[in-house]
Amino acid sequence: MENPKANITSTAAGQHEKKDGAGGPIILFFILGLAASLVVGWVFVPETFYYTKEQPIDFSHAVHNELVDNGCQSCHFFRADGSYSGSPRLAQCIECHQEANSDDPNEIRFVEEYVKKGREVPWLVYSRQPACVFFSHAAHVKMAAIDCVTCHGPIGESDSLRPYMKMDDCAECHAQAKVSAGSVQTQKDGCLVCHH
Amino acid sequence: MKIDRRSFLAFVIGGAAGSTLSPLPWKLTDDISIWTQNWPWTPVPPRGERTFVTSTCTLCPGGCGISVCKVDDRVIKVEGLKGHPVNDGGICPLGLSAAQLLYSSTRVPGPLKKVAGGWQEVSWSSALGDIAFQLSELRAKAMPESVAWISESDRGTTAELCKRLLTVFGSPNYIRTPSLQDTLETALYLTQGQRAMAGFDLEQADFVLSFGAGLIEGWGSPGHMLRARSAMRAHGGRITHIDPRLSKTAAKADRWIPIQPGTEGALALGLAHVIIREGLFRKEFVDGRTAGFEAFKQLAGEGFAPEAVAKLTGIDAKTIVGLAQSFAGAKKPLAVCGRGSGRVPGGLQEALAVHYLNALVGSINRPGGVIAVPEPEYINWPEPEMDATASKGMQQPRLDGAGSSEAPLARYLLNRLPKALASASASPVQALFVSGANPVHGLAGTAAVAQAFRKIPLIVSLSPFMDETAAMAHYILPTHTSLERYEDVPSALGFPRPVLGLSKPAIKPLLNTKHAGDVVIELARALRSPVAGAFPWADYEGCLKQTLGGSWAALTKAGFVVDAKFSPSGFETASKKFEFKNSELAKLPAFAAAAAPGDERSFPLLLVPYDTLRLAVGAVGSPPFLMKTLEETVLQQDDVLVEINPSTAGGLGLVEGAAAMLSTPQGRARVRVHITDGIMPGLVAMPRGLGHTAHDKFLAGKGVNINDLIAPVEDPASGFEAGWGIRAKLAKA
Amino acid sequence: MDQHNGSNKKFGMVIDLDKCTGCGACMVACMAENNVPVREDETNKMLSLHWMRVYRLTNGKPFPQSEECFLPRPCQHCEGHHGHSPCVSVCPATATDYDMHTGIVSQIPTRCFGCRYCMAACPYHVRQFNWWDPVWPDGMERMLNPNVSVRMRGIVEKCSFCYHRYQIAKDKAYAEGRRELQEGEYQTACTQACPAGAILFGDLNNPKHAVARIAQPDPAREGKSRNPNAFRLLERLGTNPKIYYLSTREWVRKAGDTEVRKPEKA
Repeated sequence: MENPKANITSTAAGQHEKKDGAGGPIILFFILGLAASLVVGWVFVPETFYYTKEQPIDFSHAVHNELVDNGCQSCHFFRADGSYSGSPRLAQCIECHQEANSDDPNEIRFVEEYVKKGREVPWLVYSRQPACVFFSHAAHVKMAAIDCVTCHGPIGESDSLRPYMKMDDCAECHAQAKVSAGSVQTQKDGCLVCHH
Repeated sequence: MKIDRRSFLAFVIGGAAGSTLSPLPWKLTDDISIWTQNWPWTPVPPRGERTFVTSTCTLCPGGCGISVCKVDDRVIKVEGLKGHPVNDGGICPLGLSAAQLLYSSTRVPGPLKKVAGGWQEVSWSSALGDIAFQLSELRAKAMPESVAWISESDRGTTAELCKRLLTVFGSPNYIRTPSLQDTLETALYLTQGQRAMAGFDLEQADFVLSFGAGLIEGWGSPGHMLRARSAMRAHGGRITHIDPRLSKTAAKADRWIPIQPGTEGALALGLAHVIIREGLFRKEFVDGRTAGFEAFKQLAGEGFAPEAVAKLTGIDAKTIVGLAQSFAGAKKPLAVCGRGSGRVPGGLQEALAVHYLNALVGSINRPGGVIAVPEPEYINWPEPEMDATASKGMQQPRLDGAGSSEAPLARYLLNRLPKALASASASPVQALFVSGANPVHGLAGTAAVAQAFRKIPLIVSLSPFMDETAAMAHYILPTHTSLERYEDVPSALGFPRPVLGLSKPAIKPLLNTKHAGDVVIELARALRSPVAGAFPWADYEGCLKQTLGGSWAALTKAGFVVDAKFSPSGFETASKKFEFKNSELAKLPAFAAAAAPGDERSFPLLLVPYDTLRLAVGAVGSPPFLMKTLEETVLQQDDVLVEINPSTAGGLGLVEGAAAMLSTPQGRARVRVHITDGIMPGLVAMPRGLGHTAHDKFLAGKGVNINDLIAPVEDPASGFEAGWGIRAKLAKA
Repeated sequence: MDQHNGSNKKFGMVIDLDKCTGCGACMVACMAENNVPVREDETNKMLSLHWMRVYRLTNGKPFPQSEECFLPRPCQHCEGHHGHSPCVSVCPATATDYDMHTGIVSQIPTRCFGCRYCMAACPYHVRQFNWWDPVWPDGMERMLNPNVSVRMRGIVEKCSFCYHRYQIAKDKAYAEGRRELQEGEYQTACTQACPAGAILFGDLNNPKHAVARIAQPDPAREGKSRNPNAFRLLERLGTNPKIYYLSTREWVRKAGDTEVRKPEKA
């Protein structure tokens, strides 16, 4: 960062020039403010106030996807009442992981800390919807025949997760598909489709 | 370096420009909107798999089928079970609130022992060991009969286990809490010779005449009665309700006839008089299937002519004649008795008078009539072996006097127990167990009840909640709540057909509680031989499974079994007929209505209790949901409102909502008044189920317990509690 | 996805006041279903949150001619003219809306900022304001329903016709490969709980549904019922509500009207 230094020197010069009312130092102050706020906005705040969470267990979809017979549905499935199971519960994991199947330290830790103690894994699910949202997998998957990857990305083949799913992502698609354009207020899709 | 105003402004503007080029403002706005929607103190219920557990509600003897909605291991809600013969999907507000009782903060977390200054947590083994030791002492002193057990029910495996424990221990003092069942069962026994439960086929009746029975206010099985009322009216059936107050049942009846309280029995006999005089009775039934009709003609003789009855009841003679004609003229008339929800047994002769009315019109054991539903007979355990101490103890007279020469007809007389305790210098009850009942709050004259109970050296409460009786106990052995346990439900109160239900645990016990049946089995084991020998089961669940045998699979799946081929049996009297008169009936004193206690001059008004489905009475207290549904004309802040007629209010200078002092010979209480045209002048009506000192902050300290203000009244014919009101005074406070 | 093949539904209720016994089961069922909080003192009904409330009507006559009737009052889900129900028209936050596909007046708690215009606009007092943070008695937060979001302090809430039950019912139908629901698959909690069977719920646009057969709405007269025993609350305001009440008693039917009359002297 060379600019700050430059600023200081030019400020000193500016003091000198102030008497004849020149604008130079003011511009420098402007640039100083601009630079500082950019640093704050792009670097300081994100690094200070935002943090990355690690999954409790380093889970690899890629590894599992190769081993199971039925693709995503092996672990994520529709229940009889049409609701979606979401991330598997410990009981499901235990079906294969009663004991560690490999010497992978993650799997060993999973068996020791969760399976043997009967604790559910507190997975951090990037696609988990807040309490005010009703998301229907049945409507999207069964009725609209949307693939898992459309929203979830190629998660089954990789270890990297989408960081966050925002309402804009939903709204974009809903606007294109003209979903439930029954709102009197907006003349397009209303909040009620997803929110309650 | 000098920073002047202009350079500062330049810095700020530069900062603002930079901010707009950074993600900060957008990110911040977004995050603030999310953050402010997710306050940490606003609970977010976790999502999960939704499942339903089919069960039977045990919060009252109504026997409704329920479907318990769960999300993972949380109980979310209780719903009515569609297709259940009793309630078919409907459910009363208390049944709906069962989950609030499960998660109630007033639950007792584990066994407690009372010590100086409060409660001490103890282990189950130490509590049961201590109690067993004290019981053994009583046996050693050859006074096993000094152990008593109070419970809401005397049927089903849990009740049978408790009774069995007392039997092999040597005590005849198992006492069921009083209710209308007492009088109805006795009336059936006297006239039909059957030990049976009274069922009422309201659904198929076309003219229901209710003598104060709160048909939609908790009488019988609420889930059934509300449904049956709709079904009955759908096919053209009509209801006439006799009541001094415009109760909900009266308001929803097709006709409401106000009556002087306490004279309902006289009206029934007056109607019988008209029916006989005008020859309106069903001859084929009366001539063919009854005995002693001539004697009954005398009983319902000139003393009960319409003019005489009009004077007593305040209903004019023309109305009485007209009512008798329409009742007898209906195709399937049905008369029912029992004030309010039937918490008080009432006078035996009043119940008999109403039962006779049904007999006159042939509405006994036929569709649309009163059905004698046989007591269930699936519990066939081998007779327990009893030692000499037990046999001797079992031969002692009952402490409540039931079955004695004074009250030969009664099986249980809990109302007499306080007096029996008070009159003796040393308490004849040395150990009292209370399960599924809260007598300290629920019996009339609570002060005397509490005083009597204080004389008992050992009270063991099996309540899941810290209720008034539990608070007085020396030990609390907390049992599971209705959603955590197995329980057979042998009948549905007032339902006209036998139905056996099963209550199933919807959730694993949340606290360190046990099933009452397991408490009995373990206590028996701790008492060792010979008591332990009568309990061969490993635990209650094993006992229940074995007892229900072949029905178990059907019960766990559907939640109930019904006998589709059921038809009522014939009469089991000596004459094999319905008897208006026999040797036992002849022993009853002349018919007389019980008067309200108190002196008319000092207490010019009459205080009567009323029931509502929005308040729980009985073993459990009203959960917060129920309290929230109370109308503003029933409770205002912590004050109960009593109902009075505008003319009563006018005379006392009281206006709507005014505070007043209500006094009776038993005590006084601060109330407010609700002025309504739905009550007879001179009457004061107060709801049952308020005025708790125990339970949570949603219930405790709200309103007045009417049992504090009313006195027990004994029915001279049976010994049953027959109080329906008390003289009272209301004054501006 | 909620595509409707051109057939809009209009969910509504028929409440038979002759059957209603005022037991309060509908109120409790609603509270349990919709996570309505309970405060220690709920006796001031102006401050008490109720999506469903049972009112007591009296004929105003003196003893013994006095009569009473109970009237359960959920949100009336007014259609007004083309969905411009009183509350929808005034909401500045698009928090309340009229859904043409279901006829449901929605209230989205996360959009509401608590101006309470809608409360002022609603002639039925169905809307209530959260003056306090929602609090459940200790331990009872465990019975919260995850399908209904908990409302925070400072916003307005009201009956949604248990819309989440519609979503759940649709999920089941979708899983079974059906697009349309059968009558009875979507029921509100109060309808299901009513032990007297006084509440019927269904699609008023579907002549096969019981509600349509009984309510007999006349489309030419903004849904006014052709059933002589049926009435709607404050019908003359033109709110075009979707709750039809039935009563064989004339004074009850009149009580649902706006006309203010002096009680008759007996």
